[in-house]
Amino acid sequence: MSARHGQSSYRDRTKEFIDIVESLRRSIAPAANIVPYGNNRNDGSRREDLINKSEFNNRASKIGLAINQTSQKLSKLAKLAKRTSVFDDPTQEIQELTVVIKQEISALNTALLDLQVLRSSQNGEENNSRDTSTHSTTVVDVLKNRLMDTTKDFKDVLTMRTENMKIHENRRQLFSSNASKESTNPFVRQRPLAAKAAASESAPLPWANGSSSSSSQLVPWKQGEGESSPLLQQSQQQQQQQQQMVPLQDTYMQSRAEALHNVESTIHELNSIFTQLATMVSQQGEIAIRIDQNMEDTLANVEGAQSQLARYLNSISSNRWLMMKIFFVLIAFLMIFLFFVA
Amino acid sequence: MKITALLVLKCAPETSDPVILANASDVSHFGYFQRSSVKEFVVFVGRTVASRTPPSQRQSVQHEEYKVHAYNRNGLCAVGFMDDHYPVRSAFSLLNQVLDEYQKSFGEAWRSAKEDSSQPWPYLTEALNKFQDPAEADKLLKIQRELDETKIILHKTIDSVLARGEKLDSLVEKSSDLSMASQMFYKQAKKTNSCCTIL
Repeated sequence: MSARHGQSSYRDRTKEFIDIVESLRRSIAPAANIVPYGNNRNDGSRREDLINKSEFNNRASKIGLAINQTSQKLSKLAKLAKRTSVFDDPTQEIQELTVVIKQEISALNTALLDLQVLRSSQNGEENNSRDTSTHSTTVVDVLKNRLMDTTKDFKDVLTMRTENMKIHENRRQLFSSNASKESTNPFVRQRPLAAKAAASESAPLPWANGSSSSSSQLVPWKQGEGESSPLLQQSQQQQQQQQQMVPLQDTYMQSRAEALHNVESTIHELNSIFTQLATMVSQQGEIAIRIDQNMEDTLANVEGAQSQLARYLNSISSNRWLMMKIFFVLIAFLMIFLFFVA
Repeated sequence: MKITALLVLKCAPETSDPVILANASDVSHFGYFQRSSVKEFVVFVGRTVASRTPPSQRQSVQHEEYKVHAYNRNGLCAVGFMDDHYPVRSAFSLLNQVLDEYQKSFGEAWRSAKEDSSQPWPYLTEALNKFQDPAEADKLLKIQRELDETKIILHKTIDSVLARGEKLDSLVEKSSDLSMASQMFYKQAKKTNSCCTIL
C-alpha cells in the first residue's frame, strides 16, 4: 500500500496516503482488537512510520522544488552568457547569478545528504516493507540525478561564458586602437581579468563534485590564454601580430628584455659549471695527495728492502769462512755415511 | 646576414617627401648594370617607408626579399635595408647608433635641409661594412655569443677534467699496488736476512 505512493516528488500525496491508511485501519481495527497492545504499538509505530515517511517525502518534495528553481536560474544565466555583444557585457549580473546558483546547489547538496541519512536511519530502525525502502532509495536517486544534471548544465554554461569572453577579447583587440595599450601593459591589464575570471570560476571549484576536474581545467586555460601570466615565458609575446606598430615597439623591447634574461641565465649556468669544475678539481687534488703518499710508502719500503738485501749480501760475502766450516761438517757427515755403507 | 643600404632621412611631418641626409649602400653583389637602378630603388623605398613611419616609432616592412627597418626619432629617420636573416633587434640598435652618431657629428643642422645631400658620410659607409655581422651592432648579441663560446669551452674543460680524474684513479690503484708489492719485498728481504745464520 505504501509502495503505491507515486514517485513524483512534486506533488505531496501524503494526505491521500494518510486517508487511505486510516480507512484501511478502520477496516482492520475491529479484527485487530484482539491484541490491543500490539495493535497500539503497531498503530503508534505505523503513525510514526507515517510521520517519518511524510517527513521524508516533504523534504524530498522541497528538494525537488529547489532543484527546479535552480535550473530555471541556470537557464537565465545561460541566456545571459550567450549574448555576445562586445560592449554590453552583463558581467556583474552574470557573476551575481553564478554566486547565487552556486550557493543554491551547495545547499541542495547538503539537503540531499541529509535526506539520504534520514532514509538510511529509517531503513535501519524499523522493519519497513521492502517496497518502502526501494521507494525511498529510488526517490533519493532521482533527486541526486537531477542535481547532477543541474550541476553539469552549470558547468557547461561556465564553459560557454569563458569562450565568449575569449571571443570578446579577440574582437576588442582587432577593432579598437585601445587594444594596443592593453597589450603594452599586459601584466597590468589582463592579469586582473584573469584573476577576476579565476575568482568567479574557482569559486565553484570546491563544491562541484562532478565537474571539479573540468572547472580546474577552465581556470589554468583562462590564465594561459591571457598570455601574460608570469608563469609563461616572455618569448610567447613575440608571437603577437606584428602588423601594428605599437606591438612591434613592444616586441622590440620585449626581445631585448628576453635577450637580457638569456644572458643572465647563461651567466648563472656558467657560474654553476665553474663551481662544479672547482669541486671536481679539489676532489682530484685529494686523489693526487693519496697517490703521493702511496709512492712515498713504496719508496720507504724499497729502501728498507734494499738495505736488508745489502746487509744480507754483506753477511753472505763476509761469511765465507763460516760456510767453509759448514761444508767441512757436511763432508764429514758424507764420509761417515760412506763408511757405514761401505 | 647582409645589410644592403643605410639611409638617414629627415622626415617632415607627413606633408612633403623626406629629405635624404646620408646614404650608404653596398651594391657590390649586383651586376654592374643593375647597380644604379638598385640605388634608385633604395632611395625610393627608403623615402616611402620613412614618410610612413610616425615619430618615435619603429617599423619593419617586408619588401620583396629585403626587410626594411625604419626608426623615426623626432623627425630624424634612419632606414636600413637588411635581408631576412638579420635579427630585428640588432637592426634597430644599429639604427639607434647611426642616429646618435649623426646627431653628434651634425648637430641640428639637418633640420634646415631642404634637398637631398649628396656628400657621402664616411661613418655611414664604414658602419655599413662593420655591421654586416649583426653581433657588432648589438652588444647583447655579442655578449650572448661569447658566453655561448665560453660555455662550450667549459664543457670541453669539464670533459677533460673528468678524463684526468679517471687517469688519477688508475694511478692511485697502481701506486697502491706498488706500495703493497714493495712492502712484501721488504718483508721477504727481512725474512731472508733474519734466518741466515746457518747458511
